[in-house]
Amino acid sequence: GELYCSLPNPRNVRFESINMKNVLHWSAPEGTGDGVLYKVKYAVYGVGKWIRKPECRNINRTWCDLSSETSDYEEQYYASVKAFLNGTCSDWMETTRFNPLTDTKIDPPMVSVSSTGKSISIILTAPEKWKRSPEEESVSLLQVYPGLQYKVSVLNKKTKKRWFFSISNNSLVVPWLEPGTTYCVSAQIHVTTPLLDSGFSKERCIATLKDK
Amino acid sequence: LSMTEIRAGFSAIKANIQSRDPIRSRSILSHPHSLHKVKSSDRCCITHHLFTFYVDKVFKHCRTEDSFVNRKISSIANSFLGARRRLGQCREQNNCVCGEESTEKFKQILANYEGLNVTSAAMKSLGELDILLDWMEKS
Repeated sequence: GELYCSLPNPRNVRFESINMKNVLHWSAPEGTGDGVLYKVKYAVYGVGKWIRKPECRNINRTWCDLSSETSDYEEQYYASVKAFLNGTCSDWMETTRFNPLTDTKIDPPMVSVSSTGKSISIILTAPEKWKRSPEEESVSLLQVYPGLQYKVSVLNKKTKKRWFFSISNNSLVVPWLEPGTTYCVSAQIHVTTPLLDSGFSKERCIATLKDK
Repeated sequence: LSMTEIRAGFSAIKANIQSRDPIRSRSILSHPHSLHKVKSSDRCCITHHLFTFYVDKVFKHCRTEDSFVNRKISSIANSFLGARRRLGQCREQNNCVCGEESTEKFKQILANYEGLNVTSAAMKSLGELDILLDWMEKS
């Protein structure tokens, strides 16, 4: 049976999700130093039965990876954390309802560039959904979000002039550029609905070939 | 039907609405039978049923003490009204046939709804709007 719980509660219990790698995070109860241990449980919304997470039982860290348990993004979830210290405990503290499809963050796309005399070619790769192991089949976020688009920024390093392109497919050729000039490319993922935007990727710079 | 507008409206009130639904063990749309298991041939009919369901049985029972939330609910409801009218036209032109399976599916949703008192059922249904939108946007 449960002890009488007088320990302050874990705080700010929430899912932090990137590319559907869904990790439960929380802050230690106020005023408790070292030595606090935690246990975690989760539930599928609509089923409601709490399921303990053995790998996150009696842990002293303040996070627990629930990616495996929440990998079906057609379901929604709750998770909960309880703290223990010196024979007493806190209440169970719950997250809000977590929807992996709408509540995840998306990494920027991978950008590769090549150039000719007066144009540069850009190829974009959307990140993959989190998977249990490298052997598991990869699922691109493009498959998860059919409306996924790319926003591409191209900067002329000499003139500092910048263009933006919005494209749905994953490649772009930018023609009529100046020879022997460096251009820097960065790209962002934009999903209109549900509304999800990644950050911009690191700039990749390349020079167009000089005129012969 | 501007899914983007409905999504934005719902996102703004999602935490508020879902916090009013303490029942984790029951769902209107996703359990025991998931919307995601509906055959593509039944999608149009189920969508029309669900628009009617939300207009007739959900939005009107979701009044809150928060005027911001109420305004968002009203704008979502208006979007649904427009969409239902257009889907109704589809049904009149026989482009939105209701098979036995979709009728059965919708009965299950109604049974889930009627298994709770009206206010709880309406608030739970509203809190599940992202389940409906996720399903509608699935290719």
